[in-house]
Amino acid sequence: MKIINKVLCALLFFVFPHQFLVSQTNDFRLPNYEKFVLENGLTIYLLEQHEVPLIYVSAIFPAGAVKDGDKNGLAALTAEALLFGTSNYTKEEIEETFDFYGAELNTSGSSEYSGLSSYFLKDDQDKLLPIIKDVIVNPIFPNDEFEKRKQRWLVELDQDKESPRSVIRSYFNKFIFGSNPYGNPVSGSKETVGKLIVNDLKSYHNNYYKPSGSALAVVGDFSSSEMKVKLTELFGNWENRRTLSLTDIPSDDLVHNKSRVLLVNKDDSNETTFYIGQLGITRSNPDYIEIRVLNTILGGRFTSWLNEELRINTGLTYGAGSVFIPYRTSGTFLISSFTKTSTTTEAIDLALEVLKRLHTKGVDEETLNSAKNYIKGQFPTGYETSGELASLLTAMFFYNISDAYINEFQKRVDDLTVEKANDIVEKYFPEDNLQFVLIGKASELKDKILKYGEVTEKEILNDGF
Amino acid sequence: MRLSILVLIISSFLLGQAKKEDVKTILLSNGMKILVLEDHSIPNANMYLFWKVGSRNEHPGITGLSHFFEHMMFNGSKNYGPKMFDIVMEANGGSNNAYTTENVTVYTDWFPSGSMETIFKLESDRICCLDFDDKMIESERGVVLSERSTGLENSNYVLLSEQVQGAAFFAHPYRWPVIGYESDIKNWKKEDLQNYFHTYYAPNNCVVVISGDVTVEEVEKLAKKYFESIQESAPPREVSIVEPEQLGEKRVVVHKEVSSPNIMISYHIPESKSEEYYALSLLNSVLSSGNTSRLYKSLVDEKQLATAVYTDMSYSFDPYLFTIYAICNEGVSPDSLENAVYDELDKLTAEGVTEKELQKVKNQKVMGFYKALETIDGKSNTIGTYELFFGDYAKLFDAADEYKKVSQEDILSMAKEYFQKNNSTVGFLISPEEE
Repeated sequence: MKIINKVLCALLFFVFPHQFLVSQTNDFRLPNYEKFVLENGLTIYLLEQHEVPLIYVSAIFPAGAVKDGDKNGLAALTAEALLFGTSNYTKEEIEETFDFYGAELNTSGSSEYSGLSSYFLKDDQDKLLPIIKDVIVNPIFPNDEFEKRKQRWLVELDQDKESPRSVIRSYFNKFIFGSNPYGNPVSGSKETVGKLIVNDLKSYHNNYYKPSGSALAVVGDFSSSEMKVKLTELFGNWENRRTLSLTDIPSDDLVHNKSRVLLVNKDDSNETTFYIGQLGITRSNPDYIEIRVLNTILGGRFTSWLNEELRINTGLTYGAGSVFIPYRTSGTFLISSFTKTSTTTEAIDLALEVLKRLHTKGVDEETLNSAKNYIKGQFPTGYETSGELASLLTAMFFYNISDAYINEFQKRVDDLTVEKANDIVEKYFPEDNLQFVLIGKASELKDKILKYGEVTEKEILNDGF
Repeated sequence: MRLSILVLIISSFLLGQAKKEDVKTILLSNGMKILVLEDHSIPNANMYLFWKVGSRNEHPGITGLSHFFEHMMFNGSKNYGPKMFDIVMEANGGSNNAYTTENVTVYTDWFPSGSMETIFKLESDRICCLDFDDKMIESERGVVLSERSTGLENSNYVLLSEQVQGAAFFAHPYRWPVIGYESDIKNWKKEDLQNYFHTYYAPNNCVVVISGDVTVEEVEKLAKKYFESIQESAPPREVSIVEPEQLGEKRVVVHKEVSSPNIMISYHIPESKSEEYYALSLLNSVLSSGNTSRLYKSLVDEKQLATAVYTDMSYSFDPYLFTIYAICNEGVSPDSLENAVYDELDKLTAEGVTEKELQKVKNQKVMGFYKALETIDGKSNTIGTYELFFGDYAKLFDAADEYKKVSQEDILSMAKEYFQKNNSTVGFLISPEEE
């Protein structure tokens, strides 16, 4: 069955990656939870939810691609290889046990952190929790399994480039951040991944998977006092193997003071996929909620100004939107869309016009109220399940988000005035020196895009970003 | 027997969270059926409208019209002009989407429960009195052409499956893509849309499902107020065409610059209402659910012939397809990957599945149900799916037992019956020089 949706969300990143707020009632409060820190520094969150006999686990480690150095792809491969076997369980045992009980266990790396997530029936906790512990603490990174995965990884890097949508983010981050670690492509390149050996994974694990700086959240049907004893027993003797300090990525010197265009040639393209952006905000930005409300108006919902102009009014595209992607010490803002090759500049000009209108005309009371209602109305649906609550807690740990911030979400949205909203626009929404990334048929585009800024060209078939 | 105890536990809690009798049915005098499930865990609710019309109701010349119509449902009606449906909904804290398949068109509204009356007003206006604005038709045509192009641009699966499906069926309307042929997208007329509206968008051709922080009484009151006065129509003509029996293997080659060849093998299987559904669905899991599934373990992990493998078996009103899709690893020819798939299927048809393997996939199925019913959206979608594709939402609550009944012999006989060369359509997606 081919499902074809009215709106495509995957490309547009409408959803903020750290949109972690919760509500069980209309006054938006986090459910009660317990937080404690083991002697080795591991932070543990326990939140009981007894509606169904399931348990969710979420873990976060300060082990993202930003710590790859020149070994791009290392964090992501290390995260995946945690499941390749441990001191006490082979890869086969881990997979067979979880599959048999209908349970899930996943690990993955991203730009700033790596994570583990799992769910299972509460009756199976004593069989599965020790495996989860071993995967985190005692992975052995067997060479044969690593080499098999590495070989496929290299092939997948080529496959990814067949879909502009899959790779434009990596080009954009590299273009915006350059040699700053936030520019590291999470999956790496064929050159960097090709050089990785199993000892790289072992030493990366030793350096960045350690109890201090990591957190574990368990949400579901259990008694907190019993779970606390179990987790303390399981993780209490996890040692901080290295004392490498986990400093944040210095990003203060990043600036773009001229417009630039990266044109990535994909010869067989029928359409152009594009991002227009700039540096954005950090996750700790005090105006984070207000910025979200304003972005809802510009590009965060179906009737947003960008989607209205580029899709509804002109039919140039199936979708257009904008998003702020915040990190710990930096962030990006981007407008994204796609259109057939011949209407590329028409679509980009229109997007720029919309952004300009936000600055010159600002927002009025009616538009602001609509966006406020929208963001408040959709808010609770993101925090319905125990799994969502577990990821919320680990993200709160990693980004240092306080309960007060969460519990005050609705009030903060309500308190946003038109005047303050227009201040937010001026302060945070980029206007000048925009950075463009276009993936498409370069021979038909290059003469027309000179007006946007200094053009750099790349071939999509070349390795890396 | 530890294993069966596990399944017993799961099925009892599955029934524990939402029971058959918790779903209430409201039948309006115009034939519209509304299913309601109260769930007060968050202050939100949803409305899912399942229309019994999809690309199987089309004919050449208007292929893709069901999907285009879905788009036009957002472009203006009597009391809410162009754009107003979305503007009003979002200003009231709601959001929406919609999807079209070969079989159905489904509209989904998600909203804070306090806005339910607004949602009823918006939906009733477009069901009763949709308007077709010429300018909106033209701009929406561009949107759909972009949607079609971006699907093909970004997904080899979309490109290959369109061709394989087109070859697997030569009579039944499942042969054309849901999005339609480009020439049809460019040529359909306002009258086609009007005809479609009168034929298929009558309240008696729709099932509405509402889940969330609402009361049945409130829903009933609003449904009578806003939906009951909409005129019913004569039921649309049934799709009567039956795909003739396949007489031999079919093969398709599609050329495109790709870094690795993709292969697809599709077998005809019965529709969802068939008694064989549950055994086939378990067979599907045996082949590709999890790293211990047969195809993943053999082709991706052990032999390193593929970088990925998927199998698919969707809900359908008429007999449809069981599809295996795999992407070649470097240096692997599509023929050798195809043969490796057959080796696994042969092993299955010779030896069947083990008891433990069967228990594993049953456990996964029941857990899958549980996951699907965890949210109010999952609840509405699953209730509607069972109502339409299995004929009765109540069958959802028997599904765990239906899976439990499937034996090793049942799985073996499904594999033997359907995984036959004469029943297969094979597609290769390869670079031009590789032939």
